[in-house]
Amino acid sequence: MSHSDTIPLHPSSQSDIDEIENLINADVHSVSVLPARPPSPPRVSIPISHSPSPLPPYQKVPPSASPPPVVPAVPAAAAAPAGSSRIGISSDAFGSPPDTLTEPVWDTVKRDLARIVSNLKLVVFPNPYREDPGRALRDWDLWGPFFFIVFLGLTLSWSASAKKSEVFAVAFAILAAGAIILTLNVLLLGGHIIFFQSLSLLGYCLFPLAIGALICMLEGNVIIKIVVVSITLAWSCWAAYPFMSAAVNPRRKALALYPVFLMYISVAFFIIAID
Amino acid sequence: MEEGYTSLPTSHLLGSVPAVIAEEKPSAGASQSLPANLQVFPPGNGGYIPPESPLGGEEQAANNWKGFCSLSSYTPYFNVDTDVVVDRIISSVYPMDEFSRKIDGSPDLYGPVWISATLVFMLAALGNYGTYLIQKRSEPNGDWEFDVSYVDWAACVVFGYAVAVPAAFYFLLQYFGLNANLVRLWCMWGYSLFVFIPASLFLVVPSEIFRWIIIILAGSASSWFVYLNLKVSTEGSDTRPLVVSALVLQFALALFIKIFFFS
Repeated sequence: MSHSDTIPLHPSSQSDIDEIENLINADVHSVSVLPARPPSPPRVSIPISHSPSPLPPYQKVPPSASPPPVVPAVPAAAAAPAGSSRIGISSDAFGSPPDTLTEPVWDTVKRDLARIVSNLKLVVFPNPYREDPGRALRDWDLWGPFFFIVFLGLTLSWSASAKKSEVFAVAFAILAAGAIILTLNVLLLGGHIIFFQSLSLLGYCLFPLAIGALICMLEGNVIIKIVVVSITLAWSCWAAYPFMSAAVNPRRKALALYPVFLMYISVAFFIIAID
Repeated sequence: MEEGYTSLPTSHLLGSVPAVIAEEKPSAGASQSLPANLQVFPPGNGGYIPPESPLGGEEQAANNWKGFCSLSSYTPYFNVDTDVVVDRIISSVYPMDEFSRKIDGSPDLYGPVWISATLVFMLAALGNYGTYLIQKRSEPNGDWEFDVSYVDWAACVVFGYAVAVPAAFYFLLQYFGLNANLVRLWCMWGYSLFVFIPASLFLVVPSEIFRWIIIILAGSASSWFVYLNLKVSTEGSDTRPLVVSALVLQFALALFIKIFFFS
């Protein structure tokens, strides 16, 4: 039952054991039929008029915090490997490829890290796709925001001289609850956004403030702290602006943006004041 | 480009907190045009009347309340534009009674929520800054610590006051047999807190006399605003003690702000 010389097009036509055998054989071949940059699986996101993004037949259930490899029913995610020990699987396969379960843990971690980095580049740094909200965070995830919120909380807690645990609690609560409330605010104002995509975006926009907090922890001078935090605050607001303003009716743009700025300004103030 | 997003085929995702997607479909069409449906907030007696329909639309009290967890139940209370909110804020600072006419048909909850949030941030931040200035004046080389408990206290006091006091007055007014609309009361009390935001900016100045003058002015303006609007709502029955107690409570809040955060 060796299929070493034929690579099937549809894994659903095989048994699981055959697929595992193919994996082992593919190792030998080290065939990589995939592009160097794994294609992002299309996910539930804002459909935009000029770039057709057909919803895949297998819609991904938005994961709250669990990493995608745990959900084996996402074939598209499995089509984006990081290592070379994979077979190319067509992204519209209805079978459940076991690759994300049998792959090495390091591959899973590398894939998630790659996605975090690519989302960061799309959201926070200048790039031609920033103005396009449907494209910008099509591949949203919640690991990045989680890391940034925890990192920011920890940095503030380390910088504080007293009541460290209360500082962490307040920072974490403001950021986490704030992201949820800001998203609800946009939805209540009649805006069109996807709940988790917005949470993801607001979390990624914390990246500049996290860097600012790290610099302020290492640096003691108040003037330098104020300058650094002001720059990173402006950067964060600039990163969040296109997404939020495009989501609502233009007459209510200020109503949707003001709470975002309020949250970032309060975090910035917190960073400066904690010493 | 922004207009294109209002007619996307994602209207079924409007307000899509995931568990209730199926329920949003009937309301999606209504939300895209200005809602002509009335929404009766369950405990209140007044109907929500959209601005362009005649005031006597109560017979259309088709209850669009979909439960406490459905986002579309709350959307009518956030149906305001930027200029409307700014207009209401300005008319809250000058204690004249145009305010009740402005919110007659469409009380909003956006103002109260975000004015309270801003006030919490201002009190915590500027209260700490005030202690910093005082300490730097008395002992220039001393250690100043950021007191995180200011954030907790500010949040509890401001949000607690903004939620509990109108609710209490609502129940008291119902007890006295007067019609009262809970959302209108929340709206009015929320906007009355706006005066404290610029006042807290002035309270940073580390001079006791100046601080007391500022807080007395702000407290009086805010209390007078509450008193006038509540009088309009109760239409001069024998609820004089109730209205006066509202005034006193507002002033007590002002004093608490001064004593706890800026002394």
